Amino acid sequence: MKRLFAFSAVFYCLGIILVSSAWVNFWVIFYLGVIFFSAACLSFRNNHIFIVLVFFLVLILGAFNLKNSYMRHKLHIRNFVPHNDGAVYNLSGFVDSQPVIENKRTIFIFRTQEIQLNNLKWLCCGKVLVKLDFPQDLSYAQRLTLTGVLSRPFGFSSGSRSYRDYLSGQGIYLLMHIKGRSQITTQPGETGSKLIIFSLWLRAKLEQIIRRYLSDLPAAVLSAMVLGQKQSIPWLVNNHMVKSGTVHILVVSGFNVGIVAFIFNLLLKIMRIRIKARIILTIICLLVYCLTTGASNPVVRATVMGTVFLSARILKREADIYNCLACAALFILAARPGQLFDIGFQLSFASVLAITCLYPRIKSFLRLENFKAKALRFICEGCLVSFCAWIGTMGIIAYNFRIVSPITVLANIFIVPLAALITLCGFSLVLCGSFCPFLGKIISTTTAMLITLLLNINAAIIKIPGAYFYL
Amino acid sequence: MLNFTREEKRVILFLVLISFCGITLNNLAKMNYRIKKLFCPQVHLARINLNKASLEELISSRCLPVKTSRRIIEYRLKNGDFSSLETLKKVKGVGDKRYEKLREIFFVE
Repeated sequence: MKRLFAFSAVFYCLGIILVSSAWVNFWVIFYLGVIFFSAACLSFRNNHIFIVLVFFLVLILGAFNLKNSYMRHKLHIRNFVPHNDGAVYNLSGFVDSQPVIENKRTIFIFRTQEIQLNNLKWLCCGKVLVKLDFPQDLSYAQRLTLTGVLSRPFGFSSGSRSYRDYLSGQGIYLLMHIKGRSQITTQPGETGSKLIIFSLWLRAKLEQIIRRYLSDLPAAVLSAMVLGQKQSIPWLVNNHMVKSGTVHILVVSGFNVGIVAFIFNLLLKIMRIRIKARIILTIICLLVYCLTTGASNPVVRATVMGTVFLSARILKREADIYNCLACAALFILAARPGQLFDIGFQLSFASVLAITCLYPRIKSFLRLENFKAKALRFICEGCLVSFCAWIGTMGIIAYNFRIVSPITVLANIFIVPLAALITLCGFSLVLCGSFCPFLGKIISTTTAMLITLLLNINAAIIKIPGAYFYL
Repeated sequence: MLNFTREEKRVILFLVLISFCGITLNNLAKMNYRIKKLFCPQVHLARINLNKASLEELISSRCLPVKTSRRIIEYRLKNGDFSSLETLKKVKGVGDKRYEKLREIFFVE
């Protein structure tokens, strides 16, 4: 079977969907798994029956994994706070995310290790979303003791999923609101992954380089496009891009991962490193880049796909795009099966799937290869890619964001090539800026000009009547 | 000698091109100040002008309740343009917390 991973991913997702839409006991799924596994062992010699049973086993595995992810550890902090009791708790643990400072407030995820109430202490685990009413200089892995009231997130929703669902998808069931500096105590020592600490340090350094050469707005746009850091993007810019259906350019995606792989491959080639070592080093660089950008679903997808492609070169095997995509989906869903319902996950996979499925078919139907003018063929191909991605994601966007942007296809014709150029300039700026400040200054002017052009085009496009409408 | 592929040659050309473009722009900006607009984005691209925004624009921005948007327009009609963004606090419904958020969205010219 050529597309084993692709079929497995489909059955795995089906298992997740089935168990999320119907209440099934954990042990029922377990016994079903045992039965199918025994049947697969017995039909070992009959190839057809064996394959069918294995696919059903994968389906059960998906359901089993989701059910398991819903189960909390006995010592999970959520079990200590069954409802909003208003009691003041003392929490010990460490900062588990890069703290974000917005509107003079600090927000971060706190991984708990110990909980205290009225001089009674218990060991615990699980994450809490902490909001400080003041800016505080904190960093990932810093050990803290927090004092405050724990509350459950509100279930308000603007679309299909509520805020509570969104947070529980990230393993967060409780919030802590801290109003005074006296409620937070810093403890000595650091916990956390060294690789993440290194990635965050690298991200801070790269952001510093971008901010050194560019003014606020271009720096914010470039940070989003190259490093996936959207916090500084002005609300209006983001809003305009949502309206024109081009907000995807502000997310690190496969294109960026491809550029990183290409740049490192080129640098290693100049150093005359052998091909196998080059590929392995490129894969390591991709993993570091993935962590540096925050390991969001699109980056993880692109990194896994890139790793599979590169590994295929080492093994001298031909990489199949559907299998690569399925590998990426299985990788993400094996770790966190609930991500299947994440909008970012759905958009990322739907767009790539739509492009890989529809683009070659429509291209051959329209006979684009017969176009003699190269420029015209290039424009038509670009339009077609945008059209395919739009078709693939339109349903998800309309359902979740209640907005339809018919202008998307037209907007992407102008915006995507510009965004590609900006990304290339961005990477050149980051690389040159760290080694040769003079070259960095020159490149930054071109980058700023392209960003200004992009923002102006986008602002003009959404002014076209009927460019977008809310449902 | 290194054997560069077509793609690698393109990278080299690309780097040369953007450097060339950057130097030219820098030079032009020195001669004519207006050229700077080409690589310094205008503030209206990132924020809404509070003195020029219509009621529809304020409502469609979805960052203010409809009532507060109306009050802003009424305030503008009654007292003229906002002299500074701080004046926004005088509008009923805009407290310190909301002002902090709106500060990132609006500007006054």
